[in-house]
Amino acid sequence: TLRLICTSTAVQRKNVGASGPEKYTETFIKKQIEEFNLGKRHLANMMGEDPETFTQEDIDRAIAYLFPSGLFDKQARPMMKHPTEVFPEQRKIQWGEDGRPFHFLFYTGKQSYYSLMHETYEKLLNVQKHQDQLVAQDLPLQKEKRNLAGSRWLTKIELEEMLLEKVSDDDYSRFIQLLQKLVALPCADIEEKYIQKFSKEVPMQLQKVVIEPLQYDERGVAFSTGEGQRKTARATAVVYDNGTGKITVNGIDILHYFPVLQDREQLLFPFQFLGRIGKHDMVCTVSGGGRSAQAGAIRLASAKALRSFVTEKEVEFMRQAGLLTVDPRVKERKKPGQEGPRRKFTWKKR
Amino acid sequence: MLRSLKGLVCHSLKLDRGCALHTAARGGLSSVSSQDGPERPRAVFHTSESDPAKHTEQHEGRLYDIPLEEVKAVFPHGLPHRFQQQIQTFNEARVMVRKPALELLAYLKGSNFTHPAVRYVIYGERGTGKTMTLCHVVHYCSRQGWLVLHVPDAHLWVKNCKELLQSSYNKDRLDQPLQASVWLKNFKTSNERFLQEIKTQKKYIWGKRESTEEGRPLREVVEQGLARVRSASDAVGVLLRELRQQSHRGSFRLLVAVDGVNALWGQTTLSKEDKSPVSPEELTLVHNLRKMVRNDWSGGAIVTTLSQTGSLFKPSSAYTPQELLGKEGFDALDPFVPIPVPNYSPREFESCYGYYLERKWLQHEKAQTEDGKAELRFLSGSNPRQLDRLAGPL
Repeated sequence: TLRLICTSTAVQRKNVGASGPEKYTETFIKKQIEEFNLGKRHLANMMGEDPETFTQEDIDRAIAYLFPSGLFDKQARPMMKHPTEVFPEQRKIQWGEDGRPFHFLFYTGKQSYYSLMHETYEKLLNVQKHQDQLVAQDLPLQKEKRNLAGSRWLTKIELEEMLLEKVSDDDYSRFIQLLQKLVALPCADIEEKYIQKFSKEVPMQLQKVVIEPLQYDERGVAFSTGEGQRKTARATAVVYDNGTGKITVNGIDILHYFPVLQDREQLLFPFQFLGRIGKHDMVCTVSGGGRSAQAGAIRLASAKALRSFVTEKEVEFMRQAGLLTVDPRVKERKKPGQEGPRRKFTWKKR
Repeated sequence: MLRSLKGLVCHSLKLDRGCALHTAARGGLSSVSSQDGPERPRAVFHTSESDPAKHTEQHEGRLYDIPLEEVKAVFPHGLPHRFQQQIQTFNEARVMVRKPALELLAYLKGSNFTHPAVRYVIYGERGTGKTMTLCHVVHYCSRQGWLVLHVPDAHLWVKNCKELLQSSYNKDRLDQPLQASVWLKNFKTSNERFLQEIKTQKKYIWGKRESTEEGRPLREVVEQGLARVRSASDAVGVLLRELRQQSHRGSFRLLVAVDGVNALWGQTTLSKEDKSPVSPEELTLVHNLRKMVRNDWSGGAIVTTLSQTGSLFKPSSAYTPQELLGKEGFDALDPFVPIPVPNYSPREFESCYGYYLERKWLQHEKAQTEDGKAELRFLSGSNPRQLDRLAGPL
């Protein structure tokens, strides 16, 4: 009989059920933090910087310099971050040595969620009591509108991260309803700090597109420029006022540059939409792409240039008509195992 | 606005009535002019001046009518294909009076016929109306009583020829019996009375048994060519030579109108039986026509058009005489009077649009508005051919 000498631990282990994600003990985390700080000082020394004032950005730059990587996914590249960012927060053990849980709501299953609901309700009752007091004293109720437009509530995922336990959709919607009820009360300003914990500023405002003013050339004729692209074609257009409707592309008349009617119709569209067919002259340059792409690029460029000549309402009409949007359609990439982007190879039964 | 229109109508009416006393052919038209009175908008685009001799700058941009019998007699083979279709659809032939044509007519009216024939070359971009200008001039000359030698498209003689015979007259050259006979037939319809009057000056022998004596009317030469197709090209050559020699006597004026004259000096798509390419000099028809276009004869004029559409081996953007004729052709035609033909001017565009509208050719509701007109003007670029093609489906 042959006795197996080298066996892996995986084989020796009995059928133990798969445990959840690895639990990190507190000592482990502490050790990681110490190692990180030490490593930070070593790295600062290596780079010749001052270890005391070595920030996280410096660390990122140093790592990117020492370990260059061409991987597309930023999170797959080598990184050195503080252990609290690397290791996800985990719930510490909820019960003591005698097996008794610390929190009083442990046996509900969702202790943090219910405790949160209780807290919020307490605040609500507080506000109502305050309101009643004010009414009893006949003082005017303060009504200051919170800025609802620039803020939003926490999403379900963010709430889960905060509570470190799963929250179902129903529970989440109930919580949000409670918050909204709280905010709707007139004297909710007292609990402003508490509410701010659960709301976030919407960071970016809609970027207002700036319409350039008209420029005037030597003769005193107003003109404006616009740029456009479509597929691989790039075009710039200069639209002059007081014109006869003559259009020149790369120094050639449109009748000769675009013999096909369809392309000329594309060029006509912005002017026809605004009703200014014979009023403007245009000089364009275009390169790249094919005939249709060049026509589309010039159309976009001329529409952008015409914005300066036209009222804001008409600009809005143009935008809704789709004259000012860049056409995102480009050639789709060919995939391996297929003949084209979508076409598969001929299927043979055998 | 209405008052000025009325003034225009009355003026043109007076002009016609005044001319009626001079020209004999005016009789049938007075009825037409009286009908024009109540239809005011019609008068802006049309003129009832049917004689090209009377067309002046005042008529520029207007359309004039050619009676259909005259069309059949004068233009058996000259008009562009699309225009012929338009004649059939509208049941009338309306030609626009444009500046290049007026210029040419002025030159012709003022030219001295004892000097050698002056050559005029009409050139321009594709679809701007060169052939129509030529037809206008041909109509004028036929009204004036000239003998018109109209070659509808010289490109037909240098490409797509099925039969090539070796010429019996000259061993090096090649005959084209089909094209020659077709042309002779059309020539006969357009110039009936001249063929009777003009007599040959030499004896011509066609074959073993056929010959034409001296002093016989030219009609016999033509008939010989039509009957014996093999000798049709030689008949054409004989005809041209006779006309050339007799025109300077002054008994008749000769107009040589060639459309697509750049075909005479370019290359051909034909090849001999041993697959070697044929150059244009080797074709009898082309050789004779070249002799005709040389200005060594007097008593007439030569009006030619350059055409890119039928031309062989020339880039599509070429339209000037240098590019299309080549060095050889340019030297052969030099000196000539160039006449450029541009796209429609705004006024001409208006009148063409008004004509289509009036004949209910533009059925689309949007086409009948001002915006539709601006759109058509933009999309066609004021090019007559583009406008015609655009207005078709509408």
